[in-house]
Amino acid sequence: MTDNKDMLKFAADNMTSIRDMVRDRFGEKRPEWAWIYELLADYNQQVWKAKENGQPLAWINFGVPAELFWAMDIVPVVTDVFTGMLAASGNATRYIDIAEQHVPDYICSNNKVFLGAVLSGDVPVPDVFAHPANPCDSNVATYPVIAAHHKFPYFCIDMPYFTTGRSVEYISKELRKLVSLLEQITGRKLDIDRLKQTMEYSNRTHEYILKTSELRQAVPSPYSSLEAISEYGLVLSLAGTPQLPEYCRRRYEHTREKVARGEGHLPAGEEKIRLIWIYGAPVFDFGIFMWLEKQYGAVSVANMNNNFVMQPVEDISSYDSILDGLARKVTLLPMTRECGGPWENWLDATMDLIRRYKADAAVFAGHVACKSNWAVMKLVKDKLYDDMGIPTLILEMDLFDPRVTSSDSIKSQFERFFDMVLQD
Amino acid sequence: MDALEELTKLAGDINSPSVAEWKDGGRKIVGFFCSYVPEEVLHAAGILPCRVRAPGCAVTTEADVYLSHLNCTYMRACLQFALDGRYNHLDGLVFTNSCDHVRRVYDILREVRPDDYPLLHMISIPHKSDEDLIAWFGEELAAFKEKIENTFGVEITDEGLRDAIGVYNDSRDLLRQLYDLRKGDRPPINGAEALNVILAGYCLPRERYNGLLRRLLGELESRQGISGYRARLMIAGSGGFDDPAYIDVREELGGLVVTDSLCFGSRGFWEPVTVDDNPMLAIARAYLERPSCPRMVDKVVERVDFVKRMVADFRVDGVVFQRMRYCDLWGGQLLYLEKELNEAGIPMLSLEREYAMGGAGQLRTRVQAFLERIEG
Repeated sequence: MTDNKDMLKFAADNMTSIRDMVRDRFGEKRPEWAWIYELLADYNQQVWKAKENGQPLAWINFGVPAELFWAMDIVPVVTDVFTGMLAASGNATRYIDIAEQHVPDYICSNNKVFLGAVLSGDVPVPDVFAHPANPCDSNVATYPVIAAHHKFPYFCIDMPYFTTGRSVEYISKELRKLVSLLEQITGRKLDIDRLKQTMEYSNRTHEYILKTSELRQAVPSPYSSLEAISEYGLVLSLAGTPQLPEYCRRRYEHTREKVARGEGHLPAGEEKIRLIWIYGAPVFDFGIFMWLEKQYGAVSVANMNNNFVMQPVEDISSYDSILDGLARKVTLLPMTRECGGPWENWLDATMDLIRRYKADAAVFAGHVACKSNWAVMKLVKDKLYDDMGIPTLILEMDLFDPRVTSSDSIKSQFERFFDMVLQD
Repeated sequence: MDALEELTKLAGDINSPSVAEWKDGGRKIVGFFCSYVPEEVLHAAGILPCRVRAPGCAVTTEADVYLSHLNCTYMRACLQFALDGRYNHLDGLVFTNSCDHVRRVYDILREVRPDDYPLLHMISIPHKSDEDLIAWFGEELAAFKEKIENTFGVEITDEGLRDAIGVYNDSRDLLRQLYDLRKGDRPPINGAEALNVILAGYCLPRERYNGLLRRLLGELESRQGISGYRARLMIAGSGGFDDPAYIDVREELGGLVVTDSLCFGSRGFWEPVTVDDNPMLAIARAYLERPSCPRMVDKVVERVDFVKRMVADFRVDGVVFQRMRYCDLWGGQLLYLEKELNEAGIPMLSLEREYAMGGAGQLRTRVQAFLERIEG
């Protein structure tokens, strides 16, 4: 645990050291790993220096399109990515404990880390906070409350329960209101040319993501388990920046060459089991992914949270068409898409992932705070087994807090699962 | 039987003789899960709206096959009743996206009991109440109206809606009168009794309910007021608070519950629907703008102000903030409510509970300590 009290500085320093370590250890063998951390390190430096550079800092959650913020020269920090970084570096629990002095333990630890960090003063009070109403109560329960408590500007992108053409119109109007709030905060009008430029970067990003995701379905998997999840933070935080499509292009070309050579992440013949994480991942210990690969040849080929299915926004000629496109994006961002609305949203997306990635088994990293997913887990598990013959390992854990279910306990549940279900 | 006895008797039974009588007349009954469902629309269709509850449900074995131990026991109890066929007298169930637990009960019933009810409907409610969203909610309610009309072969007219608004506004007015009586030094009715009066309204033909309320108000004029209590309490917090036994514990110890901020209480009736040219829009506006559940993200400050206003108007000595375990919405509210009440010097007791009354001894200890704190 760090002694640093400025968690934005800690994030910047932490990512810089990880980048340096990855460059030193894997620079030649796995250059693509360094690419991710180069971007993350630069981005976290930018976040830390935002105030110094006169840029407002917006905290957003995973369902908010970052493009609008970059277009207005506002630096977005995705709370969920920030929490993940703290959890992975062993720094989340202290903020969970601070938050639990004010809210019940069953509130999502992702929200509690943000609450605790703001209440402790270890992150600056946001210049603005935005999140969508989907996918869960915990966001709705905490973000407006901490905004009222600390009196900072706040916006909820409301979303209807069902996703239809009518709901896209609804969200588009909501985005318009968000832009008005951002204009009020910055004292600047949104520059439409800047927005179009941002959307061009965003569109190129999504083109490459879709093409790479086709390649990633290859057997053996060209991506490592860790890569299959770690791009999540990058794509959410940097959507609309010029750096991201460039990274995605390099990633695509690298993956294409690898697949053309028939090369997988694991050495030939060592990929035995293809896992799909249909919900969440133990963020506090990504080492579990490496352990699965090493111990069982079990590659985590895809993860719901990193399943970006958005098409580029077709028409970026006007403000209206861009907002309509971003509204559609809001409905399709990972987890917002699967976990809001009817349970079939999650089921259909999961079945699609399993089919496309030719998975052997599913893993539900059941975050104890995700009441809505736990509520329909049995329905999903039964459908996957009855309709597709896919077994599901159901784990109960806190994704950000190892004190609820330890890594050892998770590993022993995998051991039993593989022993019982995947023997034949 | 006096009106209070009659209402109390009706409150404890979701399928009371008056419900059975309605059904025997060949008329429809539709259950609804949340106070954001406008009963007026069902009433205008000649349908009896019944708020879905599961009083007395102590075991949820079948429901727990689907819902997990991380889901609230209120919804687990309701699902259990549904799976047990205890709602089979209902011709439909109406859900809202008011919380994660209830929206998933909708999913489960659609999947495992799709044929039990002619109508399983989800109303999407905005999380904010600006003009755009009020208009959108009006359209959502118009779609709900159409669904009712098509499912049951009835017609809902604007005139019918206006009449229904009038009938429900009468209830609201009568219940406000009842609450006004609780402001005095010697309220003629205690908190548990008042909760029963409200619960009865959720399973009675509304005109009959209004008649009983009028009779009750008359009878209370001559009832001796309650005195000698130790403190005037207010109950605030989450849904599923439909067991008067929870209030009994407080009142047995000398705390008198004089008001509340509950959806099975004041929040459900506090503000009337103001009728205008477009009755559906008037309903949409009234439901989104009234004292709110924390699902409404734009009303954090208003929600606490409502509690403070109630404290002042009813001369409350202490607020009992209770919430169902695993209710995120009310759990998150604690942060701001606690700060604001502290700053205002209003004592607050924060309690977690399950749907079925349990741990009475522990509850008594907490309440006793709270009363002692208030008494100084």
